[in-house]
Amino acid sequence: MATLVQVDDLRKEFGNVRALAGVSFSVEAGEWIAIMGPSGSGKTTLINILGGLDMPTSGQAVVDGVDVARLDEAGLARFRAQKIGFIFQQFHLVPYLTALENVMLAQYFHSTTDEKQARQALERVGLGDRIEHLPGALSGGEQQRVAVARALINHPKLILADEPTGNLDEANEETVIRLFQELHGEEHTILMVTHDPAIGNLADRRIEFAHGKLKHILTPTRLA
Amino acid sequence: MFWRLLWKLLRGSGGRLTVALLSLVSCAMVVSALLNLEFDIEHKLTQEFRMLGANILVSPRNAQVNGSGPAELMSESEVSATLGALKDPALVAAAPFLYVVANAGKTPVVVAGTKLEELSKLEPAWKIEGDGRSSPGAPSSCLVGRNVARQLQLIVGSPLPLTYLNNHAQFTVAGIVDAGGTEDNQVFVGLAEAQSLATLPGKISVAQLSVSGTSNSISQFAARLATALPAYEPRPIRQITEAEGDLLSRVRLLIVSMVILILVLTALCVLGTMAALAMERRQDVGLMKALGGSIGRIVTLFMTEVGVLGAAGGFVGAILGVELSRWMGRRVFGTAISSRWEIFPLTIVLMVAVALAGALPLRLLGKVKPAVIFRGE
Repeated sequence: MATLVQVDDLRKEFGNVRALAGVSFSVEAGEWIAIMGPSGSGKTTLINILGGLDMPTSGQAVVDGVDVARLDEAGLARFRAQKIGFIFQQFHLVPYLTALENVMLAQYFHSTTDEKQARQALERVGLGDRIEHLPGALSGGEQQRVAVARALINHPKLILADEPTGNLDEANEETVIRLFQELHGEEHTILMVTHDPAIGNLADRRIEFAHGKLKHILTPTRLA
Repeated sequence: MFWRLLWKLLRGSGGRLTVALLSLVSCAMVVSALLNLEFDIEHKLTQEFRMLGANILVSPRNAQVNGSGPAELMSESEVSATLGALKDPALVAAAPFLYVVANAGKTPVVVAGTKLEELSKLEPAWKIEGDGRSSPGAPSSCLVGRNVARQLQLIVGSPLPLTYLNNHAQFTVAGIVDAGGTEDNQVFVGLAEAQSLATLPGKISVAQLSVSGTSNSISQFAARLATALPAYEPRPIRQITEAEGDLLSRVRLLIVSMVILILVLTALCVLGTMAALAMERRQDVGLMKALGGSIGRIVTLFMTEVGVLGAAGGFVGAILGVELSRWMGRRVFGTAISSRWEIFPLTIVLMVAVALAGALPLRLLGKVKPAVIFRGE
């Protein structure tokens, strides 16, 4: 398999706070990576840099051959639209847009909208009957499934999920994790931040952080 | 999707946008009314200025009028024929005058022979007590200035015998004039009677004209008249024409200043509303950027929203402004101000510009950093 993500000596500082202190690893295309560690260990900072939402202080973060740190504002927007699918813990849906429109919003910023395709994406995550609902009328699990449909709609190279089940009850967590398993089965590349060891065990590899440093990379055999 | 998104943005922020829209509608209404007034003010004021009386005086070259010294005289028929030939709709009224100093008993009075029926058009501001007409079978009617009436103890209907040299004429007072000027010391009789009394048939001392228009157009009228009447000297009465021009300039300056002030105040009002809206939308903008929205595309979306708001405010305000200008016209000038179609698009363009100027905070949303927003900072 080809390397999709290559991180070399990645550092990020917020004033005097060191969020990432020289992190290096790589991710193969089609891998599911769980990123774990205590709060403040740099997991979200890593996801933000890989997704082009934040800039590293130094080091390299290359995604699908693109060094994120070298992109300007317009390049970053194109990069995010074409290569990344974000799923957030807080869902981050636009409250005045319906489920369908939230999915189409990602299409709009990528290229052109295709309502039929957006409907199919929502049907795929089990929300065929909730298409015209506003986020406020959806449960947390349903909102997260809309976010999953939105993340997938542009066929991104890399799915970045920041604690996607952190705000869900057990039943909804199961539904969402099943979706991730399906995506993994379809050879999507997933980097998922999670605190849940059970979810971490479903991944191909588990990267553990502490104090901004990479502590372990655990492979399935070591997990077993 | 752009327009769908725009519609949802407008609906999603209905409360704040309604405040901005109301500001824009109010501004557009007043601006549209003032601009209608500005375009019509010249016409309306020149009508008002005609209340001030004659603004062109035609006299013999180098003449001294009002009876002092041996006055040169003009030909009534020549002046009348020339004015008739000009056929200028700007000429509101024209009255020939022949001045003689006659005696009422032993009291000398200035007698002005003129076309009495033209006086009300020439001097609409004069207050005349009585109907200005004599009874059937009575001697010729005259109007007397209030000072003359007081001095000679005349009332409407009183007989007034006048003597000039060896000529006598009998008049009946048909009205008492309160002009507030030297005319209050004069007696106005028919031109033919005055010419007969003075034994000067077909002669006049001056002609007074009331011409509507700006000071420039009045001067041009006088110049055309001078060409047609080379023996005489038509000249604008400068105090009146210059005062008219000056007042018109001041009123126009006032209107333009008010329009600019209202536009600036509205832009500030929109600015305040948009600043609050920008704070509300930071989260949405952060998300849009995370989804790959470029700064240009996101800012264009918000600016279009504001532009639509400005256009809607301008459209509604311009319609209301027509009614407001009509009401203002009726209140100030007694007649409605006529609306001009150019004001409609001009008001909409101005409101769009004001709305965009007030939307500066929304433009700053382009600088939002998604990671900062998602961290909750």
